[in-house]
Amino acid sequence: MKRTRSAVLATTSVLALSLAACGGAESGGGSAAGGGEFTPRGDVTMIVPFGAGGGSDLAGRATATMIEAANADVNVNVENREGGSGAVGYSNFLGQAGDPETLLATETALLALPISGDVEFDYTDFTPIMKLGDDFTLMIVGADSPYQTCTDVVEAAKTERITAGISGITGLDNIVFTLTEQQAGVEFDRVPFESGGELTAALLGGQIDIASLNPGEIIGQLQAGEVKALCAYSEERYSDYEELADIPTAEEQGIDVAFAQFRGVLAPGGIDEAARQFWIETMQAAVETDEYQQYIEENYLQANTAAGDEFVEYLEGNNELLTQVLGG
Amino acid sequence: MLDNLVLGFSTALSVENLLWCFVGVLVGTVIGVLPGLGSTTGVAVLLPLTLSLEPVTGLIMLAGIYYGSQYGGTITSVLISTPGEASSVVTTLDGYQMARQGRAGAALSIAAIGSFVAAIISLALLVALAPPFAEFALDFGPPEMLAVMILGLATIISFAGDNRVLGLLMALVGLLIATVGVDPGSGTSRFTFGSIYLLSGIPFVEVMIGLFAVGEVLYQIRQGAAAPIRAGFRELMISREDLRRSGGPILRGSFLGFLFGILPGAGSTLASFMAYGIEKRVSKRGKEFGTGAIEGVAAPEAANNAAANANFVPTLTLGIPGGATTAVLLGAFMIYGIQPGPLLFDEQPTLVWGLLASFFIGNVILLFLNLPLAPVFAQLLRVPYGYMYPLILLTSLVGAYSITNGMYSVWVVLVFGIIGYFMKRLDLPMAPLVLGLVLGPLFEKALVQTSAIGDGNLLIVFTRPLALAVMAIAILQVAAPTIMARLLRRRATPRSRRSDPADSTPEGSSRG
Repeated sequence: MKRTRSAVLATTSVLALSLAACGGAESGGGSAAGGGEFTPRGDVTMIVPFGAGGGSDLAGRATATMIEAANADVNVNVENREGGSGAVGYSNFLGQAGDPETLLATETALLALPISGDVEFDYTDFTPIMKLGDDFTLMIVGADSPYQTCTDVVEAAKTERITAGISGITGLDNIVFTLTEQQAGVEFDRVPFESGGELTAALLGGQIDIASLNPGEIIGQLQAGEVKALCAYSEERYSDYEELADIPTAEEQGIDVAFAQFRGVLAPGGIDEAARQFWIETMQAAVETDEYQQYIEENYLQANTAAGDEFVEYLEGNNELLTQVLGG
Repeated sequence: MLDNLVLGFSTALSVENLLWCFVGVLVGTVIGVLPGLGSTTGVAVLLPLTLSLEPVTGLIMLAGIYYGSQYGGTITSVLISTPGEASSVVTTLDGYQMARQGRAGAALSIAAIGSFVAAIISLALLVALAPPFAEFALDFGPPEMLAVMILGLATIISFAGDNRVLGLLMALVGLLIATVGVDPGSGTSRFTFGSIYLLSGIPFVEVMIGLFAVGEVLYQIRQGAAAPIRAGFRELMISREDLRRSGGPILRGSFLGFLFGILPGAGSTLASFMAYGIEKRVSKRGKEFGTGAIEGVAAPEAANNAAANANFVPTLTLGIPGGATTAVLLGAFMIYGIQPGPLLFDEQPTLVWGLLASFFIGNVILLFLNLPLAPVFAQLLRVPYGYMYPLILLTSLVGAYSITNGMYSVWVVLVFGIIGYFMKRLDLPMAPLVLGLVLGPLFEKALVQTSAIGDGNLLIVFTRPLALAVMAIAILQVAAPTIMARLLRRRATPRSRRSDPADSTPEGSSRG
């Protein structure tokens, strides 16, 4: 493991300080302090709206572990409710309104599904608790690709055909490619795949020119020199991770695009304020645990957290951007 | 490489690793037996329990669950026509018929032996030749996969039974059912009628449980309670004749399964169907297939096991999952703090070779576990059907519920149970429908991707050499029997043995 644990720890201890400042000095035991009268009755259920083994499942299970680490009185059971790219899980969660003993491991599908128009909920139907982190993507090409920067790719797209593999219409990769196209006035030809693994195989086999993948999905190939990362679609470089720190951001290369898949926790709509406060405080304690650190590092996330109202604000901004990309 | 194998075995043979390997294959067998609970779910659910173990030990156990469930899936397919795993659907066709004739023991034994031989062959190939095979697999882009899917569709003819048109119609119905859900190209929802449940399509495993398990029970109930099968112990044992007949099918199934297994996404289900189809063509007893031919159990069982092992080729050498379960296993690597990818063999030799060596050991354990147990399991059929039917219905429905933790799966099982009942009454062939359902999404994906890569031109299937080769085999498979029959008729030599020329073509195709 060549990760710079110290750097990550440094960043998050700053973060922890600022959180502690606004959160009201939580020191681990969430139930005893602050929040009010609420404590969960019995076991808490963490719904994962995707199948076992995927990125959402990992996030849900990690969140359950960190909640238990932060508050020994709370026991969290993870339950997978998959189907319809998350639609089934979120729709079921809609029916849990007012039940403060159920949480949901959320991500970008919370915004993308309502925009696609097939579901009856949107993010305002739920109670956002905590954003855990951001998973950005890197633009990846094969090792023998002629392109050295994202600018090269955009320039080339003006005169020739560039095939871009994507993992689905509402996928993060399709969103950043669409934003890039809008910025640069070019067009990529999409080839739809179903997962990061399939995209990696297609890149290695020379079936497609470019793909946009999460660092965690491609780090193995990257370290082996089988593929090249041209730029990161993130606001800032991955300076916490030694092996990714040299990758410039798209903005540095003149393409002003940064978009992340977020990971977070939702409570159902219609829960009372005491319960909301309890979960916000519990999650604020949870993101200070070693379990949280481990989750962030193993998945190459950027530890950008946002609690309660801040998370709501983030969702509002993100939703606007997504509507513009996917709705148009 | 010998050094590596020694290192691997010395790792895998430690007491702790042996123990967890045994636990893994045992749990895997049980998971395979339970309908609905496949290896993917099994590995994902048990993954957190392995976190306290050493990474290599945890992976050995998880991998044991994976290939153990390939053995387990067969048991219920044969005994009660309820496939525990998607890849053992084909086994029900002849396996269940054998059980009805009192030969369940032989069917289960040959499944265990076939799986074992296939595992050893595919592991030898994996150990010796994984990197070149992985490179080969990467050459299979969308156009090549499209050709493979066309080859798969061509196999339907083998499943059509006596009435070819009816078989093709049922395959078409399967393909149509597969179109429900979100279109992979544009993201538009099709035939979902506003239901969020239909967005991800009609789920394959539930359909299978409905058609085969529930449909069969309903049909049997209408027939009046069948007498329990009272076979003597001797009949339950596998005979020398059975073994002799199964040798060829197992070998062909193993190599075919391996080839399909290294292609990411094609998977063991398709491999088992292809192996059955080819065997039916090749075998002198082709006509007996579907009525309890042991070849029809041996070939697909060998193929699905070989494919399951071959899935590890892209997984270990490239860090790209070969199938759904290996994708979860890759997730396990990450949780243990091990980065899968091309450097894995260099950076983690103890882990990789220990894992590979454990595959050999695990398969030996499975063989010794399953061979003596085959006649014992077969004795279960002595239970009167009055007790058996409710039990099958119950496990089917509970199994369905456990897939997605919701009632939707249960409804799908019930609806397809009723459909299955009527299909049996009307004597409509089910296998083509299932194959259409399996191939539908894969075929569509390859079609959309090929069209995108070729900028709308699908003819690139004929201009890329590898794709062209596969297409040629597909065309041969459809055309060969007709051409051969015509040639033979023209010659009309009285002593011409029809099976010989028919033998050579499809056998060649199994190597393609």
